[in-house]
Order: sequence, then C-alpha cells, then structure tokens
Amino acid sequence: MDERKNEARDGALLLDDADAKRAPTGQDGQSGDGKAEESAGILEEILDRMDLDVDVDVREDGEKIVLDLDGPDVGRVIGKKGMTLDALQFLLNKIVNRFPDGRRHVVVDSGDYRERHDNGLISMARREAKRVVTEGEVVTLEPMSARDRRVIHLSLAKFEGVTTASHGQGMQRRIQIMPADGEQPRSRGRGRRR
Amino acid sequence: MTSHEDSASDDSGSEDSVTDLMIYLARQLVDEPDAVEVEAIEGDRAIVYELTVAPDDLGKVIGRDGRTARALRALLTAASSKVRKRSLLEILE
Repeated sequence: MDERKNEARDGALLLDDADAKRAPTGQDGQSGDGKAEESAGILEEILDRMDLDVDVDVREDGEKIVLDLDGPDVGRVIGKKGMTLDALQFLLNKIVNRFPDGRRHVVVDSGDYRERHDNGLISMARREAKRVVTEGEVVTLEPMSARDRRVIHLSLAKFEGVTTASHGQGMQRRIQIMPADGEQPRSRGRGRRR
Repeated sequence: MTSHEDSASDDSGSEDSVTDLMIYLARQLVDEPDAVEVEAIEGDRAIVYELTVAPDDLGKVIGRDGRTARALRALLTAASSKVRKRSLLEILE
C-alpha cells in the first residue's frame, strides 16, 4: 500500500511532468511576469527550427501558462501517442523554470488534445475496472507517465470494488487494478494500450 | 513562424537545421550557453549529433532519469523527417 501513498502524493502535484519536487523553495509566478510571452517565444523558435507550421496561442490561468497550437502541422506537432507534444512541454517547463523563483506550469496543448487523451484513459480504466470486478483478477496496464497514472488513479478512486496501485521503476512504472477485497488476487499481467 | 514563407527556410528539416535546433535547445537549458557545441556526423545509415556542453551542465541536458535527454531525442526524431537516415543524439562527457 506504500506505493499507493506515493502515487497519491505525486498526484497532488500540479505539474504534468511531476517535476515540482526539484524546487521545493521559491514562490510560484503569476500572470504579468512576462513568462507567458517568454515561453511562447521560445516555443516558436523551437517549432520554426523543426519546420512545423503551427501558430501558438497563449492563455494564462493563475500560475498556469497554456500554449495552444494550431495549424497545418498539428498532427506532426502532437506526434505518436503525443510524444512530441510531451517533449515540447517537458523542455519548456525546464527552460522557463530554470530558476526556483516565479515557477510557472507550462502546458503545451493542441485544441482539446489533452482532454481527449485523458477521456480515453478514463474510459479505458473504467472498462478494465469492470473486468476486474467481474473476473476477480488483477489487471496490469501498460507503462505510463506519472501524469497519466494520476488521471487513472483519480478516475478509479470512487469506482466500487477495485483499488489501484503502481509498480515498477521510472519508465516501466505501471498501474495495477485489483479487486478491492476478497481472496488473494491471481495476477495475470495482461497489458492494455493506453 | 514567418520564415516558412522564405525560400531560405528550404533547408528546414535538413541536417543543418536539426543541428541548429539541438544547439538552440541545449543553450536554453544550460548555464554556459557559449560552451554548447553540436557536431553532425553522417554515416551510411545514420546521422549522429554529438552534443558537448560544459562539464557542470551535463546534468542539465541529461536530466533526472535521463528525461531531458529523452525529450531532446524525441524532438530530434520529429525534426528529422526530411533526413532519410536515422538521427541519433549523443551527449559527450
């Protein structure tokens, strides 16, 4: 159960890349500190060098900066399983938050991509949870990022009859959905794509 | 994003512009941007981009569990669509 506690703590972080652990000191920044414009400028420089024809739209929501991409190359900018979008977001957070003070959370999105991605995760998790309940067996999901695991833990927190936990290290960390009570569950380790 | 209209941007996605992308990203991440160097070495099947940074900046381009290096590689791959060879990023110590 220890692992589950850790996960919940991860989940409390607002950063998609769960990188806030790195800078426990320092105040969060706010709108008007110029970081939204700075991050949009850097993202444009990157996209230009990647030969991606997309426009950057900037929104601010408290300490959060949302950079919304749209244009002919959105497909390429999202990448396979959102890999390119995630890499852009990760690096921008690193660059913009190089100094501990005035940290901002930068989200790189394209339209409702992240929302649709999360909805996909949630419906997959519910489907698997139902299977756990009806078959009484543990289901192990594919390895996922801390952020995606958080979405699933939260979505199943109130799901009757199952509990969730994460196992494994780093890139290999994956969620297990288990029957909430009853006899010792038999693990079958069936993977599911996210 | 205006440069897409320029004819000068015809080399985007090429070896040179990928080198430029890696230099730009590394310089944004490190404390000593002047020490950043990227050399593209073209082989038969792959192009290896060798990244050199100041010794104290190594951790900044590698990151915890290699996450920064992984993100750099993801962008390198995405940017190399016009290069018909595999693109690899090597961080030199």
